[in-house]
Amino acid sequence: MTLLAIDNLETDFVSRTLDDEIRVAHALNKVSFEVNRGEIVGLVGETGAGKSLTAQSVLGLLRAPARVVGGEAVFDGRDLLTLPPAEMNELRGYEIGLVVQNPRTSLDPLCRIGDQLVRMQRAHRPVNGRVARKKAVDMLAAVGIPEPERRMRAWPHELSGGMAQRVLMAMALINEPRLLIADEPTTGLDVTVQAAILDLLRQIVLERSMGALIITHDLGVVAHYCERVAVMFAGSIVEEGTVDAVFETPSHPYTRALLSATPERLKLGSGRQLGGPPPDLYNLPIGCHYRDRCERVRDICTTPPPATDLGEGHRVQCHFAKDLEGQPL
Amino acid sequence: MKIRRFLTRRLTFIIPLLVGIVFFTFMLVRLGGQDPVEMLAGPTATQGQIDRIEQELGLDQPLLTQFGIYLMNVAQGDLGKSWISTRPVLDDILARLPVTLELLFLGIGLGALVGIPAGMRGAAHPNGWFDQIARAISLLGFSIPTYWLGLVLLFVFFYLLGWAPPGIGRISMMVIPPPTVTGSYLVDSIIAGDWEATRSALGHLVLPVVSIAIISAAPIIKQTRAIAVEIYSGDAVRYAKACGLPDRQVRKIVMRNATVPILTFVGTEITGLVGTASLIEFVFAWGGLGQYGLNAIVNGDFAAVQGYVLALALFSVVVFLVVDLLVVLLEPRNVDAT
Repeated sequence: MTLLAIDNLETDFVSRTLDDEIRVAHALNKVSFEVNRGEIVGLVGETGAGKSLTAQSVLGLLRAPARVVGGEAVFDGRDLLTLPPAEMNELRGYEIGLVVQNPRTSLDPLCRIGDQLVRMQRAHRPVNGRVARKKAVDMLAAVGIPEPERRMRAWPHELSGGMAQRVLMAMALINEPRLLIADEPTTGLDVTVQAAILDLLRQIVLERSMGALIITHDLGVVAHYCERVAVMFAGSIVEEGTVDAVFETPSHPYTRALLSATPERLKLGSGRQLGGPPPDLYNLPIGCHYRDRCERVRDICTTPPPATDLGEGHRVQCHFAKDLEGQPL
Repeated sequence: MKIRRFLTRRLTFIIPLLVGIVFFTFMLVRLGGQDPVEMLAGPTATQGQIDRIEQELGLDQPLLTQFGIYLMNVAQGDLGKSWISTRPVLDDILARLPVTLELLFLGIGLGALVGIPAGMRGAAHPNGWFDQIARAISLLGFSIPTYWLGLVLLFVFFYLLGWAPPGIGRISMMVIPPPTVTGSYLVDSIIAGDWEATRSALGHLVLPVVSIAIISAAPIIKQTRAIAVEIYSGDAVRYAKACGLPDRQVRKIVMRNATVPILTFVGTEITGLVGTASLIEFVFAWGGLGQYGLNAIVNGDFAAVQGYVLALALFSVVVFLVVDLLVVLLEPRNVDAT
C-alpha cells in the first residue's frame, strides 16, 4: 500500500542578484517516487543533488529562498504541498517522524531527554503526564538505551553521538508515525554504531509495518537496509527501482559511475573515480543534466532523456538505458 | 555544592581585583595634574597656609606611604573625608548609592521590559514590519546623545506640555521627604504610606527613567534580536519545528535558550550604563552617586573620586557575580565547568 507518493515535485531557489536581476535555480526537477508500507526506500546522490531538499519540500520545512513550485506529495489522501501550515504541523512528528543528521545539536540543549519525549507527545495529543513518561521510558528501552529510567533525566550534552541518535529515533517513533524520514541518520557515527542504529531502524520499521525513507550518500547503507532505491542527480531522479535491480543491472551512466566508485572497487583497480563538479543549478545543461560528465554523451543528449521503464518499476532517465541494461561496469 | 565552590572561587578573586583598582585610581588621581591644595586654599593664600593644608591632607608624604595609609584605612572601612563636603566619603556614597541604583535599575528594567520582547518579536519575523520599526527605533536610541535626550524630554514634557515636574531633584520641594529607610524616596514613601510623597517621587522619576530606558533599550533590542535570530536558525529550533511543536512552544524554546546570553548582555549593560546615568543625573539635578562622582572629579576631591570609583568597581563585581551565578543556575552545561 502506498504511503507517500511524490509526483513531479519541483522546487526552485529564487534569488535576487546585486543588479536586481531575479535568478531562478531549478533545485528539484519533476521528482517522483513512492514509499510503501513495510518498505525502506533509499534516496542516494552526491552532495547538492537535492536529497535533503526533497525531504524538506515534502515536510513543508523549506526556508527562503527555496520554495515548491509544482507537483504533489500525497500522504494519506492529502497533498502535503498544499496543506495549511497548521495541519502540516499536526502531521509532522505525529504521522511522519523525522530523524535528522545532527542529533546532538538538534535536541533542545536546555531540556532533559525525558521532558523532550513528553513534550513531543503533548505537542500533538493531550496525554496524562505519567502515561507519557512511561511511554518515553519504554521508547528509550526500545531504541536500545541502557538504564532508560535514569536517562530520562539526562541532558542532551551528556549523551554520546550514538546515544543522541538513538534518542532522536525515540523522538521520531514515540507518536507511532506511519512514515519515517531519516536524513543522513548515521553520518558522523562510527561504523559499528552506524550498523547498530540502522539494524534497529529496519527492525522497528518492519515490525510496525511503517514506511521509511532513508536519505544517504552511502551506497552500502542502501544495499544493506533498503528495499528500493532512487538515485538523484542535479535535482532529478535518474534511476529508480528495487535494490536488486538497480545494483545488479544499473542502467544510468551516473548510477554505474557511483557503483564503480566504491572503495573496494577502487582498491582492486576496477573502479573509476567520479569526475567533475555538480552542474550549476542556475545554468543546467539543456537536455540531459548529466551530459557534461557522462562518458557516453552523444548528440541526442541535448534533448531531454525519456523515462525508460525496464520493468518491475525499474525506471531510468537516459537515452541509452536499454543499451546499458545488463552491461558489466 | 557546585554553587558553593563557584562562589568561593569567585570571591577569592575579588580581593586582589579590588586592591588593583584602588591602586590604579589612587595613582591616576594623583598624577592627573590637579592640585587640591591650591583649590582649597584659594588664590590669596600665603605659602604658610598652603604648607599647613598640605600637611593636614597628608599630601606632603611620599606617594607610596600615602597609598599604604589609604589602603589600611580602606581595609577598615574608612574611605577618607571629602575635602568639599567635609563628610566621610563612605557616608556620602552610602547616602547616594540607593538614589542612583533606583534610577539605574528602573531605567534598565523598563528598557529590558520593552527591548527584550521587541527584539524577540523582531527575530520571529525578520524584516517584517515590526522588525523594521524596532530596528529603526533601536538605531535612533543609539544615535541620540544622552544629555540631549534628557534636555529634550524636559523641554517637551515640562516646559511645553507641563506634564512633568521640573528637572530639579527627586521630589517636589513642597513635599516633605519620607523618613530614610532605603534611601530611595519611592520605596521609603511607600513604606511610610505617604501617598503624596510617593506620587511626587514617581513623577520626578518618570523622565530620567524614560531617558535611561531609551538609551538602554537600543542595544538590548539589537542584541536580543541577534541572539534570537541565531537560535531560530539553529538546529534545535529547526528540529523542534520538524517535530511539529506548536509555534507557541517553539517561541518558548527560543526564549529559554536566549535567556543566558541576554542575561549576560544586560549584566554588562548595567555596569556600562552607570556612566550614562551620571549624565542623566546631571541634567535632572538628581543628586545621586553619578553626580557626586562627576563633581568630585571636576574639583580634584581625591578621596571622593577614589571612593566613587571603588564603589562602581564593587557594584560591577556584584552585578557580574549575580549574573554569573544565575547563568550557572540556568545553564546545565556550565555546572560542571565551573
